[in-house]
Amino acid sequence: MSSQEAAVAAATPGLVDPMRLAARWRSAAEWRKVDEELDGEPEPSHLNTINSSGLFHIVSTDKLSVQYVGIHKHGHDVGTVQANCPAPTKRFAYYFEMTVKDAGVKGQVAIGFTTEHFKMRRQPGWEVNSFGYHGDDGYLYQGQGKGEIFGPKFTTGDVVGAGIIYASQKLFFTKNGTVVGTVSVSKDVKGPLYPTVAVHSPNEEVTVNFGKQPFEFELENFINEERKKQLAVVENQFLPPHLSHWIVRSYLLHYGYEDTLASLDIATESNPSLTKRTTVDEQTNMYALNHRKVLRQLIRNGDIDTAFQKLREWYPQVVQDEMSVICFLLHSQRFIEYIRAGHLEEAVMYGRAELARYFAVKAFANLLEDIAALLAYNEPAESCVSYLLEPPQREFVADAVNASVLSTNPNSTDSESCMYSTLEKLVRQLTVCTLDWRTLSGGQGEAFYLHRELRSRGGVKRSSAYSD
Amino acid sequence: MSLSWIVLGQLESNESMSTSKKVITREEWERKLRDVKIKKEFMNKLVMNFLVTEGYVEAAEKFRIESGTEPDIDLATITDRMAVKKAVQSGNVQDAIEKVNDLNPEILDTNPQLYFHLQQQKLIELIRLGKVEEALEFAQDELAPRGEENQSFLEELERTVALLAFEDVKNCPYGELLDVSQRLKTASEVNAAILTSQSHEKDPKLPSLLKMLIWAQNQLDEKAIYPRINNLSTAMLEDPAI
Repeated sequence: MSSQEAAVAAATPGLVDPMRLAARWRSAAEWRKVDEELDGEPEPSHLNTINSSGLFHIVSTDKLSVQYVGIHKHGHDVGTVQANCPAPTKRFAYYFEMTVKDAGVKGQVAIGFTTEHFKMRRQPGWEVNSFGYHGDDGYLYQGQGKGEIFGPKFTTGDVVGAGIIYASQKLFFTKNGTVVGTVSVSKDVKGPLYPTVAVHSPNEEVTVNFGKQPFEFELENFINEERKKQLAVVENQFLPPHLSHWIVRSYLLHYGYEDTLASLDIATESNPSLTKRTTVDEQTNMYALNHRKVLRQLIRNGDIDTAFQKLREWYPQVVQDEMSVICFLLHSQRFIEYIRAGHLEEAVMYGRAELARYFAVKAFANLLEDIAALLAYNEPAESCVSYLLEPPQREFVADAVNASVLSTNPNSTDSESCMYSTLEKLVRQLTVCTLDWRTLSGGQGEAFYLHRELRSRGGVKRSSAYSD
Repeated sequence: MSLSWIVLGQLESNESMSTSKKVITREEWERKLRDVKIKKEFMNKLVMNFLVTEGYVEAAEKFRIESGTEPDIDLATITDRMAVKKAVQSGNVQDAIEKVNDLNPEILDTNPQLYFHLQQQKLIELIRLGKVEEALEFAQDELAPRGEENQSFLEELERTVALLAFEDVKNCPYGELLDVSQRLKTASEVNAAILTSQSHEKDPKLPSLLKMLIWAQNQLDEKAIYPRINNLSTAMLEDPAI
């Protein structure tokens, strides 16, 4: 909770607190920032030159290439280098590649993952908590000096890759754009995994690609296929028949989208399994349906005066307290509508008469400041507070009014139900479940975010463009 | 030994049983629920996606007006799609085939299974109407050649033609083919094919999301005790069962 929201929660102890819907009226820019910060993690971008094996390798100045400069006498003079930070975990998968520039005298180059305190003079895979795919034998080494038959050998000119799929706890390795094999990560591996490469004989040189250059491997296709496997498990869950229909219906009822609801009911009239079912829940949601629809329309059309008048007439208790959140939001919106119409003088007059009193309330300060700022711009629609002039702001006020009207229902049992539709409660539950599951799973994997889920549409398109 | 000792002992054993799972109180959980940031317009999009994919064109149009949400597909194409679906549902299969071809001839060209199922449905409708001769002719001319190409088509064709062997078709072993559900099955297959041809997903997102919730709760059950939602249609939060 932001400090602003906390202040709001403390300031308005009433039954319904429409300001809690406030997270929605963030401006587009603010929302972008929120989105970027969600699960934002540092990503490996270059090789770590501090945690070094010492004398056996040199890293290029761009920190993307490593070359062996030792003599190679035994197993403790490997030149192993980790990425500058561990692989990010709050996602579906992570992947990186390396190109073998020169296989050197013995071709003992390797790619894999290691944990923080790995001994940099050993090959990845030779020590516990490490994994390595080695070029000289094509073997996979995991936690011991003895490898297992895994994939083809690789040498000068080859591009090899290593990746992690968090949901299935698997590592996978590729050579020249093709998966050569996968291996399950044992539960004993503790701690973040660092992308790691190694060189171990004179002249060996490799270059890493942490994603700045396009990968040789079609990572996106691979991820889509893996994701489909996960989704197949989800799709097998049993759902009561027509559940989606009832949830959509209850959403329309909750927000007072009465015309949509009527159309939907007409369309499903002939389907006996979808005819009206009046549960207690639906009856509660039917409350004041037509009034709520009218109020929403008025606010969406910017006719705040009439909305106010109707509220006074129908639900005087909602607008009785001039210092209430709902009065504040409606007055604010009236002010915004003056600005939108270009009536600046009226806006100023209205602000003095109806908004000045709210400056004393700390909880309203942020919104008030933004609203007042509208006056400062010649072109408010181009300003940093332009979000106030966009349709979602009206929708936000309409939703707040809707919640307040719902709260006047004598049969209404809890304020949560006035605030949130069934659909919203389910989405919130899903989000928290995935977030908590991840927290309890070492912070690994993807969480559910509704906006990302909706954005992914079309991202899973079939692609025939495989490179040879 | 006093009673309080016994009670204490029980408490301890309960605790040790559940130490592997994290207990999340209702208060803590509700705070987390409140902290989730959800934009209203994304929920509107979810609802619009449902109306559009299910083909509720008037409702989608109304929802566009009432909520300002833009549909993710041209609403006019829904009307065409629903007309095809309705034609199959009411037994006018030839009409449906022509409508699909008007929409996009590639749909049936690239989808032999769908085309076969439509032809099969047409045969079923002829049998339903008691047009025995016409049905036989149609089966031999149109369906048999396709059955030769594909074993599963052949089996389905045999099952369908077998209907002709019974006087009381409703009670014969293949009577289910005459059921409304068979029409609905074919109709939804055409519906999905048209949506795919419009590069739209064939299923709405909401049911997947609900399944994801059921799955996610089951997953979390393995690691934690927390307030679940058992009844999805009310979204009521249960007290954590400790």
